[in-house]
Amino acid sequence: MTRKKLEKLGLDLPLLPTTTVGSFPKPPYLLKARRDFMSGQLKSEELRALEERATKEWIKFQEDMGLDVLVDGEMYRGDMATYFARNLDGFKISGLVRSYGNRYYRKPVITGEVKWRGPITVDWWRFAQELTEKPVKGMITGPYTMMDWSFNEYYPSRRDACLAMAKALHEEVRALAKAGAKIIQVDEPAISARPEELHEFAVEAMEMVMKGVDAYFITHICYGAFEFIYPGMLDLPADNFDLEMSNSELDLMDMFRAHPFTKDLSFGVVDVHSHIVEDVETVEKRIRRALEVLKPEQLWIDPDCGLKTRTHDETLGKLRTMMEAVKRVRGDVTLEARVRE
Amino acid sequence: MKILASNHSSYPRVGDGPGEQKHRQAYTRMERGEISEEEFERVQDEITKEVIQRQISAALDIVTDGQIRWHDPISHLARHLEGCEINGLLRFFDTNFYFRQPVVKGDLRRRRPILKREFEFAKKVSAKLLKPVITGPYTLAKLSINRSGSGLRSVVKWFTKVVSEEIADLVEAGASLIQIEEPAILRNPGDWEVFQESIEELVSSKGSSDLLLCTYFGDAAPLYQKLSKLPVDGLVLDFTYSPKLPETISRFGGGKKLGLGVVDGRNTRMENSDEMTGVLRRIISTSGPEEIHVMPSCGLGDYLPSDVAFQKLKKVVEITNTVRASL
Repeated sequence: MTRKKLEKLGLDLPLLPTTTVGSFPKPPYLLKARRDFMSGQLKSEELRALEERATKEWIKFQEDMGLDVLVDGEMYRGDMATYFARNLDGFKISGLVRSYGNRYYRKPVITGEVKWRGPITVDWWRFAQELTEKPVKGMITGPYTMMDWSFNEYYPSRRDACLAMAKALHEEVRALAKAGAKIIQVDEPAISARPEELHEFAVEAMEMVMKGVDAYFITHICYGAFEFIYPGMLDLPADNFDLEMSNSELDLMDMFRAHPFTKDLSFGVVDVHSHIVEDVETVEKRIRRALEVLKPEQLWIDPDCGLKTRTHDETLGKLRTMMEAVKRVRGDVTLEARVRE
Repeated sequence: MKILASNHSSYPRVGDGPGEQKHRQAYTRMERGEISEEEFERVQDEITKEVIQRQISAALDIVTDGQIRWHDPISHLARHLEGCEINGLLRFFDTNFYFRQPVVKGDLRRRRPILKREFEFAKKVSAKLLKPVITGPYTLAKLSINRSGSGLRSVVKWFTKVVSEEIADLVEAGASLIQIEEPAILRNPGDWEVFQESIEELVSSKGSSDLLLCTYFGDAAPLYQKLSKLPVDGLVLDFTYSPKLPETISRFGGGKKLGLGVVDGRNTRMENSDEMTGVLRRIISTSGPEEIHVMPSCGLGDYLPSDVAFQKLKKVVEITNTVRASL
């Protein structure tokens, strides 16, 4: 079904399309440039030039790897929620809040009506797409995650805040589609935070974001607790669910056996939270296990999550392993698909 | 009736100014091996002292040590136990904060007393009543991975023994009011029997101190009647999840001591004082506990920036004063 949608959009992807979740590690020169920019020692156009250089490098890297669907690498983003909050009306940014251990972040604060004031990611998407013939995904942080990861001083309820976010993000999605993005990813890592809210308003919010936009939609979900929202989460109106599978030790497969997965699935086969590069056999086994419960036409292959916390070499190692494993499985799968035809 | 302004538990260890990064910087240096663990402890002592002073300057009657030394509510105790290892990160309930998950392999044993030294230091530097806080056995067990081969009841029992020993140590060190945090029971009411056994056992080690049983991040109303029958000296409850809680307390009575978490510890929005004092007056007039602690709904250390946390404590004091004046 969704294969047809891809074809209708003019996207000719092989079986088991390969992609990544969104972020790549920032090269040392860009990390330094960001620090210099923060302390006022670098102009914004100088920073922008280095972000473009890093984006070009990552696009080339993905092409060299042979990935099928590319990302811009998010060289211009800090945190995935504050980046959007800074570019929407109605937000300010808080002081430091603890995330875990010795990690702190600045959290968006909703202080007024949330409004889209113009394209946020479209220029970056266009810049990346012009560098390659392969499709580049448009990427936004979803309304539920934006709401859950923000303080709310303005809206009377979480629902109101979430739906207001959805209205604003719908404009961004439309702008991406208008610019030519055919695959758009809506990141919702927080979606399982309060399972009861899935049907109270999270599904409705995602519907608002995607409504009337002609694109193939992926939603990326991580940080677990799927057992509380599956199979209900299939009501989210995405074509493809991008889930972390290796980090949750593939226990989702049992859930998919009990209740079939009805959408396409981007299957995270390498663990982005570990420095260790998996061996090809392990990853190959993971893909074959996925094929026990999914049709080859449903399955995409990618890492668990964004790769920004890994080193360049770990990123290279993990993606090489992934591509090699896909190559091994693809031959068999193509044959099976032909036999079925 | 006594009405006191109280902190809940944790308090931010890092602020926004360049001079407020001491804890964070020392932590990094300790991890890099540039300073020893003893030197890091001294920084933690210093921050603990500052955090207590800050609570006193907000005019609170009951303060805490801010749990400055706690990695998170779960692994702080677990990392000092034999029979247990510390695993990866997991979201702490429905918050944006992550804790390290313990893996329980068998019977648990303390290598040494854990909270006693922390409490003794904090008590020494506090001019106000200092309330130590401990995560309860049921929540510790429920948020751990159980690889012991035994059931939940055994793991709760093992943690209960450890927490009982901690309570006895705290009492010996002079603690007169101790808060036991059991948020996990609100989401798992089916485990009530195991939970009740554990709390009853804890109570037997409390000596002359008063034990407050605390829940948060969920609606306590459905369990309130059962909670209020437990042999503890008081309950501490989160009012931000629970529109029916004031009514429920009015119906079943407020008990001996009652901690009212009416100031939202998870959101930067400042409460409307009139609204809050209205709620408090209603609870006080209908349920009549002997002592009320007005407080934030949860620890502030892992959810709010430092400047807002301080404003929230001042809000607690403002509400307390208004209610006191109106009685």
